[in-house]
Amino acid sequence: MSIKMKVFRQHTLRVSDYSQVPIWRKAHPVDLACVCYGLAVVMMVIVSYASGMNGWFPFDPQAIQMDLLNALPNTEGHLLGTDFMGRDIFSRLILGIQAYFLPGLLAVGIALALGSICGLVSGYRGGRWDAAVTYAANLVDSFPRLVLILLMIAAFKPDIYIIMAVVGLTHAPTVTSMIKSKVIFLKQQNFIEAAVSLGLKNRIIIAKHILWYNCRALLIIQATLGMAEAILIETSLSYLGFGVQEPMPSWGNMVQSGANYFLQGHFWPSTAPALAILFTILGFHLLGDGLNNILERKQGR
Amino acid sequence: MKFSSIKPIAGTLIREIFAALLLLVGVSVVVFAVLSFAPGNPFSSILAAPGAGAPAITGKIWQYLTWLGHLLRGDLGHSTRSGLPVFDEVIRTSLYTLYLTIGAMAISLCMAVPVAIFTARRGMASATGWAMTILTYVFSALPAFWFGYIVIYAAIHRFGFFPLAVGGSTADWNWFYFFLPVLVLGFCSCGLSEMVRYLREELVRVLSQDYIRTARAKGVSVWKHAFKEGFLLPVTEIVAAKVPFILGGAVVVEQVFNWPGMGRLAWQAAQDRDFPLIMGITLMAALFVRLGSLLKQVVHIVVNPRASHRSE
Repeated sequence: MSIKMKVFRQHTLRVSDYSQVPIWRKAHPVDLACVCYGLAVVMMVIVSYASGMNGWFPFDPQAIQMDLLNALPNTEGHLLGTDFMGRDIFSRLILGIQAYFLPGLLAVGIALALGSICGLVSGYRGGRWDAAVTYAANLVDSFPRLVLILLMIAAFKPDIYIIMAVVGLTHAPTVTSMIKSKVIFLKQQNFIEAAVSLGLKNRIIIAKHILWYNCRALLIIQATLGMAEAILIETSLSYLGFGVQEPMPSWGNMVQSGANYFLQGHFWPSTAPALAILFTILGFHLLGDGLNNILERKQGR
Repeated sequence: MKFSSIKPIAGTLIREIFAALLLLVGVSVVVFAVLSFAPGNPFSSILAAPGAGAPAITGKIWQYLTWLGHLLRGDLGHSTRSGLPVFDEVIRTSLYTLYLTIGAMAISLCMAVPVAIFTARRGMASATGWAMTILTYVFSALPAFWFGYIVIYAAIHRFGFFPLAVGGSTADWNWFYFFLPVLVLGFCSCGLSEMVRYLREELVRVLSQDYIRTARAKGVSVWKHAFKEGFLLPVTEIVAAKVPFILGGAVVVEQVFNWPGMGRLAWQAAQDRDFPLIMGITLMAALFVRLGSLLKQVVHIVVNPRASHRSE
């Protein structure tokens, strides 16, 4: 009996059980390439923190070199040139990753936590809860994000963590609506009905069978997209002068300080951080969309 | 058209308008609450006198109601910095921002719609489709402040397509001169890749439905049948969804181009802690967003009256 079972199992594995094929074998190569590029961008965060702790910078990011201002790439060993105070742009770019990463993580965390709680409540309970959550989501959606942030800056102080909390709050309605539609879809499925009839507690059904087994892909995708938005907001605010302040490098204030020399023909000091922003946001977008194609399409099959 | 046929539409419309008004009241409550719980006020930096202590919560509610009453009469107080009436300032600058917003929306739609239709019909496999899709991704990741400088350098400084500064009197203004900020905002701040993705998916979904197949089999125009569901509804949906993004992006673009709009005023107000001004701007921006959303609902109801029957 046991031998028979074993043979049967091997047979299904090799021939017909499509669900046993690893997920990266089923994915479209273009999606895989997008995800790999996105992961490479995420890896840069680790590079930044590692070199920040061990001092692995080619030059000191804060060292001023007044005889080498706005230098082009590859002069005197400066891989990406120097900025308007002669500081090494490459080292500052690496250090600038830290300016967006932790605040961005806060924004993503708030968006995911708030969004999944509201989405679960309104999808699972429905009725009045749903109406209340929809009203709150529409209310948050009524504010343009940057205008709401400027309101917060006027009311409190231009602190990057307050700003990022607002970014998380304004990203939450997107997460809420996605989780809600997913929960409404899942509630009609047989396995949830089975779980209910088996007498499982509501919180176990919600936490394990809905959130963990069926919404984690969606949450990961939303996290990458939220990170992209957080970077965009952080760089925009640093450009406007409300974000990270000058001695500390952030990509936004690097663009801003380089822009003063732009019309004099020194393109490079603001173009290098701008390209870094471009490729990083592109990476997070591609990571999110690639993961979406790989993980979410599968369930529709 | 008999009244009985437009009655459900009218009912739904009235309900939508009521919901929008309710949301605007909520917006005013949030704006008021944020600023009334703020530490200090714009005058605390001018008058170094110790604060009289926060009034009780009933005092706050009374204060809110008074403020709302003034608001409904078009009185938003005076800017603490310039002393000008906020209402007039906001109306004046919002016209510039409205021009910027509508232009940017038009430009981004002009770019997104052809790409979406092309990739929906030919599939993603062709080289042109890929190139266009990648381009939309690059544009949606492009930082507007840097792209703005590039455009200024190329179009004004280097080649002189546009004058660097326009004269002070409105007589020698040419609306064509204002094309550059609109262009930058339309390219950068709308999330072009998201727009293309949404429009394409909706179009593909509709084109694969049974009634389109029937239309194709009968030999009538597929486009005519797919237009409402596959094009008009998604476009209005995306336009309404992108209004807040464009208004937010306008803050940055107006800063780059020194555009005398609402976003630049908001930036100034945030720097000066000019409470009345930032309140007025936030309310106006929320009004724009709600109007865009209302427009979407109207198109939704008119195109698909069944939806209003179903919800009743």
